[in-house]
Order: sequence, then structure tokens, then C-alpha cells
Amino acid sequence: MQIGVDIGGTFTDLVCIDDAGCLHTAKTPSTPDDPSRGVMEGLSLLAERMALTLQAMLPATGLFIHGSTVATNLVVERKGAELGLITTAGFRDVIELRDGSKQNRYNIRMAPPEPLIERPKRLEVDERVNSKGEVEIPLDEDGIRAAIRSLQDKQVEGLVVLFLHSHRNGVHEKRVREIVAESDWAPFISLSHEVLRRDGEYDRISTAAVNAYVGPGLGGYLQRLASKLGEEGLEAPVLVMQSTGGVLPLDHAVRHAVGAVTSGPAGGAMAGAMFAKLADEPRVVTYDMGGTSTDICLIEDGKPLERQETQLGEVKIAVPALDISALGAGGGSIAWIDPGGILDLGPHSAGASPGPACYDQGGTQPTLTDANLVLGLIASETFLGGRLALNRLRSIKALEEHVAGPLGLTAEEAALAINALASARIAEGMRANTVRRGLDPREFTIFSFGGAGGLHAASVAQDLEIPRAIVPREASVLSALGFLAADVRHDYQRVVGKNLIDLKTEDLKIPFSEMEQEGLVALGNEGFTSKQIRFTRIADCRYLRQVYTIPVQVSAEDLLKEGDTLWMAEAFEKGYRALYRHTHDRNAIVVDSVRLVAYGTLPSLSLPKEELAGSDPVLAQRGTRQVYYGSMVETPCFWFDDLKPGMKLTGPALVDSESTTVALPEQYGAVIDSYGSLVITPLEKLS
Amino acid sequence: MNEMSNDAATEIDALTLAVVRQKLLSVSEEIVETMVRTCFSPLLNQSRDLSAVVLDGEAQVVAQAERTPIHMGAMPFAVRAMAEDFHGRVGPNDVIMANDPYWGGSHLPDITLVKPVFRDNQLRFWVAIRAHQSDTGGISAGGYSPSATEIFHEGLRIPPVKLADGFGLRDDVLRMVCENTRKPEDTHGDILAMLASVNVGAERLDLLLDRYGTDRIDQCSAKILDAGEASMRAHIRQWKPGIYKSVSYLDHDGVSTERYPVPVTVTVREDEVEVDFREVGDQVAAYFNSPIANTSACVYIAFFYLSNDQQVLNEGSTRAIKILTRKGSLVDPVSPAPVTGCTTFAAAVIIESVIRAMAGAAPDVVVAGSARRFRYVIAGHEPGLGSYIYHYFSNKGGFGANNDEDGWVNVGGMQNPGGTPSASLERVESSYPFSIEEYALTTDTAGTGRQRGGAGGVVALRYRGTGSAVLNVAGEGTVIAPYGINEGTDGSPHSIWIERDGEKIELDGRSNDTPIEPGDLIVHRAAGGGGCGHPSDRARSMVKRDLEFGYISQDTAREAYKLTD
Repeated sequence: MQIGVDIGGTFTDLVCIDDAGCLHTAKTPSTPDDPSRGVMEGLSLLAERMALTLQAMLPATGLFIHGSTVATNLVVERKGAELGLITTAGFRDVIELRDGSKQNRYNIRMAPPEPLIERPKRLEVDERVNSKGEVEIPLDEDGIRAAIRSLQDKQVEGLVVLFLHSHRNGVHEKRVREIVAESDWAPFISLSHEVLRRDGEYDRISTAAVNAYVGPGLGGYLQRLASKLGEEGLEAPVLVMQSTGGVLPLDHAVRHAVGAVTSGPAGGAMAGAMFAKLADEPRVVTYDMGGTSTDICLIEDGKPLERQETQLGEVKIAVPALDISALGAGGGSIAWIDPGGILDLGPHSAGASPGPACYDQGGTQPTLTDANLVLGLIASETFLGGRLALNRLRSIKALEEHVAGPLGLTAEEAALAINALASARIAEGMRANTVRRGLDPREFTIFSFGGAGGLHAASVAQDLEIPRAIVPREASVLSALGFLAADVRHDYQRVVGKNLIDLKTEDLKIPFSEMEQEGLVALGNEGFTSKQIRFTRIADCRYLRQVYTIPVQVSAEDLLKEGDTLWMAEAFEKGYRALYRHTHDRNAIVVDSVRLVAYGTLPSLSLPKEELAGSDPVLAQRGTRQVYYGSMVETPCFWFDDLKPGMKLTGPALVDSESTTVALPEQYGAVIDSYGSLVITPLEKLS
Repeated sequence: MNEMSNDAATEIDALTLAVVRQKLLSVSEEIVETMVRTCFSPLLNQSRDLSAVVLDGEAQVVAQAERTPIHMGAMPFAVRAMAEDFHGRVGPNDVIMANDPYWGGSHLPDITLVKPVFRDNQLRFWVAIRAHQSDTGGISAGGYSPSATEIFHEGLRIPPVKLADGFGLRDDVLRMVCENTRKPEDTHGDILAMLASVNVGAERLDLLLDRYGTDRIDQCSAKILDAGEASMRAHIRQWKPGIYKSVSYLDHDGVSTERYPVPVTVTVREDEVEVDFREVGDQVAAYFNSPIANTSACVYIAFFYLSNDQQVLNEGSTRAIKILTRKGSLVDPVSPAPVTGCTTFAAAVIIESVIRAMAGAAPDVVVAGSARRFRYVIAGHEPGLGSYIYHYFSNKGGFGANNDEDGWVNVGGMQNPGGTPSASLERVESSYPFSIEEYALTTDTAGTGRQRGGAGGVVALRYRGTGSAVLNVAGEGTVIAPYGINEGTDGSPHSIWIERDGEKIELDGRSNDTPIEPGDLIVHRAAGGGGCGHPSDRARSMVKRDLEFGYISQDTAREAYKLTD
């Protein structure tokens, strides 16, 4: 059995693929005070759904993958560990000076960011390694010992070490760890060159600080969870989801805690990649619309696109992550009339508490969910399986007071405007993501999930002239399902910093071989055989005069070539041309760094495929609802779980499930594919 | 019947208006993204010193993709100059190009391309893009020449010309422009990318017109502008009416060593403001002059900073702001005054002057002064490395405090706080014969106040080359300190010196051609931001924290902050 558990802000989602290949799911409220409680409750519910006890299910589980918002919340809520720094003399303020940038240039009255390490806990020692990696000033070990005593006195829980050029030679940083080990102090230690092995003193310290800031908290939580799971009989290792879409075993995941900080949306993107492969779609754009935001990710050839840096507020995290961009539009986004009198949506959200007005928990501001309720697109009987009664009158009151009244509209008209604005925002967000990469949105297929996504899928597809939008049946637990599509993944990096023309293929082979060796050892220790191990190799290249690099894929065969690296120049130019539509033939190309990703292949996930049934959906119909499309239209409603492969729907129609509703407007239709997904297309293309 | 259709129009407007505003914004973003993706000069696609706007038929901005604040308020001047010049002689396939400060432009490196969008033979939209070129000719590569005394020294002037017309791209015009720059290939590629970008914008607007019709789009444009105006006027109503005077200074005017005052009188009436620069002195024979488009953009930036609804404000907001200048003055020069420093040096001073004046009217939202733009260049020759030029962009200095918050550190000046990230010092050490010995915050550089300014930083750079090299300093703010506000005190100004054999050689912001020797230590101490509010009102816990953290000294704690225990 394979189990995926995803703790989100509101719900903890669980999926299990049993040994017969059947999929089981469960959803329970998250328990932020101790998230492991929600996990155990969810697992009991999951076992129940399979007619098992928890104690029977866990020992039979061969793969257990877990993702949580624990690390993210520690950063966002500023509740991480007390940190101390040991650094090169003269450089204790790098983390406070940052890189001279500011995200919002017009808001000049916002509070300056508080560094993760307070200034009195940033201590300097004499040492110096130069840019070639040579020791110029030996490490002052007595100074280190004094600094250690001082930080220990200051109750520091996490120690960050940043020495200049440690990515070239980490001997001094490593020596600090040894000296700490000789003392009676056992803090969480984050060495900058181990967290990020490249140049950039601010990037390294910022990333290493985040690592130490969340490490102790994440470690404590994961240990607690692992011991509870162990007590109930789990023998398989707990694997932890990373922002790369890969997983790491628990102890490694704690050492590299920074890798979990932006892991939240990774599961959804991995699920998107899995479905893209199943459906043989070369280009997919996924969007996951939840309560407060919409996450957008592009998938090319079954792989989500990646980035090397993430900005979390003003905190920079320079580790690889799936390139997921968030829009401030979700079901809980508040609609308001801006100071100029024009309707706007978000970025403020009613969140889970008080939530939309219709939740009747004290919310008085109209949200997108309120608008959709007033339109009849969602209904109390089916929303969240009918477990949460929705109060339509509250929605109407909120809409009338804050939007409809000021604009001189009826509540329904206001609701329609809010719904349309949400669709437009998602569509434009997707367009920006594709255009930015030189891609045409019309060549993509939309993949919609998250509780609030299905209501907008057809409108967004129409707006962008995208031919197909797919809503998987497991839309609401997709992130947890995506975990099961992941492999163990280790990322390595080496700085090259040389002109390509001065490099021979052999020069590149050396760092790659080193990294391969490290990967083989790490994965070997985790029990992977050489057949289960695979690598991808990337060289980050740029033109000499430029700052940012583009990734160039390097194959094992490329490295067998001998002599010059013309092949790499060609590959770089091909990639550059795809992005920018031209090349600079007389400009030198620089290889900044080389990276290796080592994968340990986990058991592959096979989703059950169903036989095609007839095309008539009548058996799946559950009544009708009045939906406002400018006037009230009686709209047939179908139950997603009762729709069988091959069944066809014609808009206007609604498809409800326990966790989501999909809207098919008039000119649209849909067919259920063999994986049970709803495939939405314009009516004329419904074959 | 008539009334009913009016009602129907109003009904649909709330929805259409919200959606169309979103879509216009996305058109301007797509113009910028197209440019970033296709522009040629390797620096431009990474520094993103470019901006795009969508304007209505009257050349009023209805949507903007903001990358460089100083571009935004200035671009409509350029578009209007082009529209007026070609009035009645512009067609659907035309693209107009200009950079001339005396034809609506700001400074020569910023080239603007504009394309009209027609429907039913009527001009409905303009799309415009402005991008900073790496070179446009002139005495110095890059255009920033302290020795230029006339605009003719600064590079190629392009008054409005058609870059494309009914016959397509005008290669002759493009060639003429490119051949007047030091990087003809880059310029050629960048201008073609700008052309592609305005074409993409025009196509998207065509589709919007198809989908919503001209009447509804026109209504939306009008309402978007009215919304910007309403929001600005609502802000002004919250400010105290009156006449407010202030002055801010340039370190010098580039010719003499005297500081150069930029006085302003701001009159706040019920729901409008008048900004009067008529007391500003004559234009100068150095690059500090600010053409009217740039001066206006600075005033708008100042008022955008003072408001809280930046996402709503637009060109409609400027209807509430009246600007008075005197032709031939530093803030409204006439040809041939040189202007390249207008978007940085002059901009900071003009914005500061207006914000300072507003302290009387809107003490809750004003901001204290910030570090000005300070840069230096080291040029040398090294075996193995060849000739090199190092541009020092680090250590931007502290930002001013405001009524609620202390100032930021290391984001630099008012004209573009926190613009482009600085290169890492490790990268500097690995690329040049330097070692950086210190990069840290400095004690007591920040202005004191109930809210304190952002501290300045220090960079100590050891020159380790094999022979002599040359240091050129081009910085504002070594004389004039960032001002304090609401009884806060000034921060300290920038300073720069060379330490050689135990001796300290002081330099200033325009120390050109200073020889440096191996072993010299070049120290730049950046300005600290000004403080806001009286220092004795600062929370005692915060004063103690500042002391413990080393932002202030014992003396400052005792004397300025009156800390007694």
C-alpha cells in the first residue's frame, strides 16, 4: 500500500493506493496546534474507508509520503528557532543589508524586514578564504570557541555559519561544526556551503538562515509524527515532500529543512505532471484554486518547470523549487469597491475564519464563494459533501451592502461580476506565465483542481482559446495523490565560473562525476540499487555581460565527448533562442555552475483505468439548480462519482462532488475519460 | 426604451469595467514581457529598465506595467508630443519613435516607441514602450557625462519620427539611429524588440475592441481615469489646506562648488494641489537639468508615495495636481541644456522637495530623506584580465523613516528605492583584483527620531592590482544629508576616502581621474536615512535595543534620545 498525506491550511488530505491498485481518499480538518493529531485522525478515517483498522493498515504500508505547511508557517508567522551566526570578520550584517532590492517600490512606508538573526547574535571571527578557495587567513579557533560560548549563553537553538567563498572551500565552516561537537552544546547547525554550494554571500546566508530557522521546529514535529506512526505499526520510512517535487527521508529532510518551506503546492504540480503523462499532453498548465490563492504551474513534457530562487515576502530562498506562481484569488477572496469606485477582488481573504459570509461564522464581507452561492453555482446540499450548511441570505446581505448597493446592482448581478472578474484574473495569470517563457497559451491544456477551480475552468479556457480543460475526479485531494508520483531526489551543485571556450568536456566531467558519486552514496545508503538511480545534469550558462543564467541540459553521452565544448554552446544558444528569439554570436558564454539531480525511483503509481460505458449521463443526474447567467436558468446537476467513462454532458450543466463543483456554461460540453476525469471542450469539439 | 438601454449599459458596466481594467493591465504587462523576452542588449533584458503603457485616444494612460517609477508619469508627455506633431498624419501601421527631452522626452538613453490603434477610422488607443538603451552616442559611453555642457554632447536627439509606416519598417531611419550609437547591433535588436512589443500590445487591444466594442471600451477608459482622479482628490481632502514652502538641494550644480537649491511652494486646496517651482534658478551647464516631463513625473511619484491606493492611482489622478514652472529653469530647461542626470540626481531632489513641503499638510504620511545615488568606477589593466571597468553599485544607503516605521537599510534613493539587486561581493572579488575587507552597517549614520532612519553601510575595498588604476566617483549626497522630518534629525551624508600608508585622503562625489595604487583601501560610507518625529518620543525599549544592536552609540542614546538609565 502507498499512502500520501498532505497537511494544508484548512484540511489534511490523505490518499491510499491499495495493493489491488484501488484509490481511497479521506479529508479531515487540519489541527494547527499539533498537526500530527490531524494526520492520525485522517489515517484512522482512511483505514475505516478501506474497512481496516489503523493498526492493520500501517504495517501493510510500503510507502509513506508526507508534506505539511509546518516549515512554511514557521517562516510566515516568524515562529522559528532562536538563531546565532558565526561569520567572517567584517561581514556580520550581510543578512540585514540584503541585496539592495525591495519588492514593492511604491510603498515606501512599509516596515523594514527584520533579519532572521538578531544583530547581537551575529558574531565575527578572523579567517579568510579567497575567491580561488585558498586559505589566506587561518581560522581563529579560540575566537570560534569564544563565539560558541557566547551564543550558547544567549540560548541560541540554531547556528548559522557563513564564511566568504566557502562554496570554493568549506574547510573553515566544517571546522566550526567539529569545534561545536567538541563542546557540550548541540544546536541545529546550518553551514552555508552545504545548504547552497555557489557564490553569492547574501543568497547563501539567507538560505542557510531559513534552514536553521525552521529545522528545529520541523524536526520536532516530524519526530513526533514518526514515533506516533511507529507506535501504530508503520515500518516504512517517512518520506518528506520537498519544494522540488521530490522527497527526502526524514533525517535528511530535517537537515535540509529549507527544502520543505515552499513544498506546499508541489504535490499538485506533481499530480498535474502525472496526469499530463497519462493523457499524453505535452504542455499542461495547472491551476489549483483554494481558499486564499490560485497556484499556477506549467508542465512541459511531463515535467513541471523549476526555478532556483524563491522570494517569501522579503526572505530569499535560493534552493531549487518547482516554478509555481501564486495569484491572490481564491474562494475566500473578498470583493470590494476600490477607492475609485471600481469592483475589485482580493488580495484580502476571509480565510478559514471567519470565512465567507455564507459560512455564518461572523464573516460580513462578500467573497467569491458568496458570489458563487448567490449565482446558484454551488449549493448548500453539495458543498463539502453537505457538511457545512451555507447561509445564502448572509451572502446576499454581504453582497448588497458592500458591492451591489454601491454599484446600483442586484445581488445576482454583483455576484456575476465577481465571478467574471475571478475568471479573468486566472486567465490573465495563466497568460502571463506562458508569455513570459515565450510560449503560446493556446498550445496548452488546462488542468484544474482545488476546491474552487472547477467553477472557472471553462471560462478560463474560453478566454485563452485553450481547447481542453481537465478536471480530475480526485481534484480536491490531488496534492496528496501527487506525492505518490514523486521520487527521492537529491540536488547537488558546483561552481564553475569559467568561459565556455576555455573549458574542455573533461573539465565538466570532473564536477559531474563528483556529484554523481555523492548521489550514488546517498541513495545507496537509502537502499536504492543502481538500477533505481537516475541522474539529470544541468549547466547554468549565461552570456558574459549578463547576470541571470538559463539552464542547459547535459546528457551522460555529452560527457563522453572529448575536447571542446561546442556542443554545449549550441545547446545554450538553442535554449536562449527559444526564450528570447535571438542569440549573440560574438558574445562569450560563461558556465556559472553545474547541477546534478540524483533520483531514487520509488514504486510507480498506476491509476485504475475504467472501461468505457455508454454516453448517456442520465443515471448520474441529481436534480437541477437555478443558476443566474444574466437570468435564471434551470440547470441540470450531475454527481461526479456517478459519471462513468464515456458519458457526455452538454452545457449548461453542473457537476458536483463532495469537494468541488464544475460549471459547464452553455457553449461547452464535457466527456469523462478512462481515468474518470472530466474533459471540458467547446460543444463543437465534443466528439 | 432609451432609459432601459441606459440601465442595461450601467448594469453591464460594473462587470465589464472590472474585467476590462484587468485586461488592459494585462496588455501592458504583456508588452513588457515581450520586450524582456526579445530585447537584444544583454543588460536590458536583465535590468528591466523599461516600462509600457496603454493610453486612450487622447493619450491618457489607462494601464501601465511599472518597472521604473520615473518612466510612468513622464511617458504621456512623450506620447502627446508625438500625437500632436503627427496630428492627422498618422495611420494604423505607423509606429512613432522619439527620445528628445525637448519633444516630451526625459533623457536621451530612454527611447520611446508608440503605436496607434484604430477602429472605425478613429484613433482609439496608443500603446507605448520606453526602454533605457545602453548607448545613444555622445561624449561618454552610456550617456552619463559629467563634462557635457550641452545636450549635443550627450548623444543623438531623436525628435518624433516614423519608424514604421504603411510600407513597413523604415530601415533608413533605424540605420541612422543605430549608426549613431557605440553598440549599433544592440540598439538595432532592442528597437526591433520594442517594435514587436507595441505590435503585440496593439493586437491584444484589437481583440478587446472586437469583444467589447468601442463604446464600452471608451466608457471603461473614462471610468478608470475618473477613478484615479476621485481617489487622489479623496486623499487631498484628508490633508490640511494651506501654503507650504520647502527647499531641497543638489550638492552642486556641476559647474560651481555651491550647493544648488530647488525650492517649492505647495498649495493644498480642498481637493487639489498646486506645486509651484517658479522660484527654482536657471538651468545649468551640466547634466542636472530636468525636462518638464521628468519634473512632472517626480511630482506625481511624490504624491503617489503619499497616498495609500497606488493600484488605483493613474493619470486621472494628475488632474488634481497642477504644476507651475518657469521656462529656462533647472526644472523646465530649454535646449541646449544637458539632462542625462534628470532621472536619478535631479529626480531625487525634486521628489524630496515636494515631500518635505507636504510635512505641514500631511505629517502622518510624509517620509524623511534618503541616501542619494552614489556610484564609483575603477578602471585598470591587469595581466590575464586585460582592461577592465568595475562599476560599484553596492551599498545604496539608508531610507528615511516615516510616522509609523523606521527606515529600510540599503535600498537607496527616492527615485527608485530598492531597484535592481546589487552584485554579490564574492562575485566582485572573483572578477576583479580587489578584496572586500568590510561590508557592514555603521553606527550613528541614521537620523534620529521617534522613528529612526535606516542606517548606512560601509564597504572597504582593497585594491590589489599590480599597477596603478583610476578611480572616478559620480555621487550625489556627499554634501547634502538626508533630511529629518517632523522634528527628526538628518542622517549623515555619503563619504568616501582612500587609506594609503596610514594616511586618509578625503574625496567627494565628483573626484574624477583619481589614481589608486596597489594596497590602497577605498572606503565608502553610505548615507543614513533621516529620522521622523522627536527622538525623545522614541520608545525607550527601542532606544535600548538600538544601543544593544549597535545602531547608535552611548553618546547618541544619552544626548539625542535622552536615555537616562
